[in-house]
Amino acid sequence: MTSVTLATPRTRPLISWRVRKRMIGYLYLVPAALCMLATVVVPIFLAIKMSLYADVLYKPQDYRFIGLGNYLRLIEDPVFWHSLWNSVVWVFGSVFLQFIFGFAAALLLHQAFPGRALVRTLTLLPWIIPGVVVGLIWQWLYQPNYGFINDFLIWTGLMSERIAWLSSPDTAMGAVIFTNIWRGIPFFAIMLLAGLQSVPDELYEAAHVDGAGVFSRFWHITLPMLRPIIVVSTATRIIWTFNYADLIFVMTGGGPANATQITSTYTLVQAYSTLDFGYAGALSVVLLVVMLVFTALYLRVTKGVEEE
Amino acid sequence: MARRHVPRDLAERLLAGPVIWIGLILLTAFALGPFIWMLLTSLKDRTELYATPLQYLPRHPTFENYVEAWTSPVTPFSRFFLNSLWVCSVTMVATTIVSVLAGYAIARFKFAGRDALLLIFLATQMFPSVLLIAPLLTQWRALGLIDSYQALIYSNFSFTVPFTVWMMVGYFTSIPRDLEESAMIDGCNHFGALCRIVLPLAAPGIAATAIFAFVVSWSELLFAISFTTETNMRTLSAGLLYMVGQYEVQWGQLSAGVILSTVPVAVLFAFLQRHLIHGLTAGAVKG
Repeated sequence: MTSVTLATPRTRPLISWRVRKRMIGYLYLVPAALCMLATVVVPIFLAIKMSLYADVLYKPQDYRFIGLGNYLRLIEDPVFWHSLWNSVVWVFGSVFLQFIFGFAAALLLHQAFPGRALVRTLTLLPWIIPGVVVGLIWQWLYQPNYGFINDFLIWTGLMSERIAWLSSPDTAMGAVIFTNIWRGIPFFAIMLLAGLQSVPDELYEAAHVDGAGVFSRFWHITLPMLRPIIVVSTATRIIWTFNYADLIFVMTGGGPANATQITSTYTLVQAYSTLDFGYAGALSVVLLVVMLVFTALYLRVTKGVEEE
Repeated sequence: MARRHVPRDLAERLLAGPVIWIGLILLTAFALGPFIWMLLTSLKDRTELYATPLQYLPRHPTFENYVEAWTSPVTPFSRFFLNSLWVCSVTMVATTIVSVLAGYAIARFKFAGRDALLLIFLATQMFPSVLLIAPLLTQWRALGLIDSYQALIYSNFSFTVPFTVWMMVGYFTSIPRDLEESAMIDGCNHFGALCRIVLPLAAPGIAATAIFAFVVSWSELLFAISFTTETNMRTLSAGLLYMVGQYEVQWGQLSAGVILSTVPVAVLFAFLQRHLIHGLTAGAVKG
């Protein structure tokens, strides 16, 4: 007896290959999406919700919904407006000078000289060390009695009296901006150096043969060729500096008398020291809106640059 | 050589010679000076540290400050160091796995919302950590994660993942598809092709991504001070700030602490430099 088996048709896969491929793609994205959901998306909604409540950590009995109360408080808070102005000074003071000195550094590091690789790495150091380390190093340099800066300036004769740089309202902002410049020069230096390396040598040679001097070559070749990278790096830096709170928080805590209080340190102080989460929430939402406007502008500007 | 015949003008000769050398010396001195000052401070004993007039070079260099900072029971620097090492290592491994998967998906699969997703990762890179402190603190309190390593590690994802995903998309896009496709024809599934073909090719990029995640977590300060209250749970950054908060500032110990926390990132960065610069400038430089 022979048993006969019918050829069964191959089962069609439940899900077609194409759909399966798409599902695998989504599957790979799940961990990253979860990370962003838990640490960015949910907290943003939480911040918006917090901003609508009276929520001071050590006054739980006062916890209640107050609608736009925190925002009204914000509008009437002179420190908030002062902090916005300080942010503008901080951002433009820092970024403008970082850019000028960073460009000069990039031009120097682009030249051929012995030990160039080592010098390039060493000059990047201020940029990679933790913000708190930068803050502490400079706090010690600015120290009125034992700091290097007072000692050096008196030695050169530029100054006759010791200055308490960080605890005087007149000098504190300048002092933290100077520190931030020190820290940010390498950023522009590497970005612009990468740009310089991508400019073909032939352009310079041709201009040279045509009799263009060194300054006119810089103006007519280097600057236009670097335009995209200048726009992108400056825009990134402006957003980043606006948000950056570590350095000021470590060096002055926003003081003296709010002289160095920028909006991001003010938000930090509300959340960390005052523990007024409702108000911190409202400030966070303001920061978020400013950030979104900046980013939208950034995308527009960089898109314009790419399409050229 | 045609260009040899063109005479160089005075400005050019000055710029090629003295100006460059003076500029380089100033640049290097400005960048390194503050570190050198801190290093000298860390090698001085108390009397030399607070001498008037200032004493620039330590006459009797000593490692006392390092020993004291490392073993101090009030500000246990060795403990801060281990905390940082653990938090940053776990952040690094987790971030790398997450961003390899996501980067691969974005680089290789076409799906709805791909561009929007990339844009979200770009926007979150610019996100202020300050904004997240109050809500994350509430969230970690509700979950009972205050004074835990998890809270710090999870919070770190908010700034490591967006950037590393972006970096990984770049690396994967630069690897030709043909290799994977032929592997898949030979019977490999997608995950097999990813592990056997793509990962080995992308290894240098993945290493750079991992080190980057480590270095940025090493610098993190605001989450570390907000989500921990016990001295024993502080990371290096938070611990250094805590050292300032104790009584009068012990600049000797503090400078030793500063040097000790700088060394690891400086060493890692030396390895990372080329890749990081490539990652940062890709897209911004044409051609």
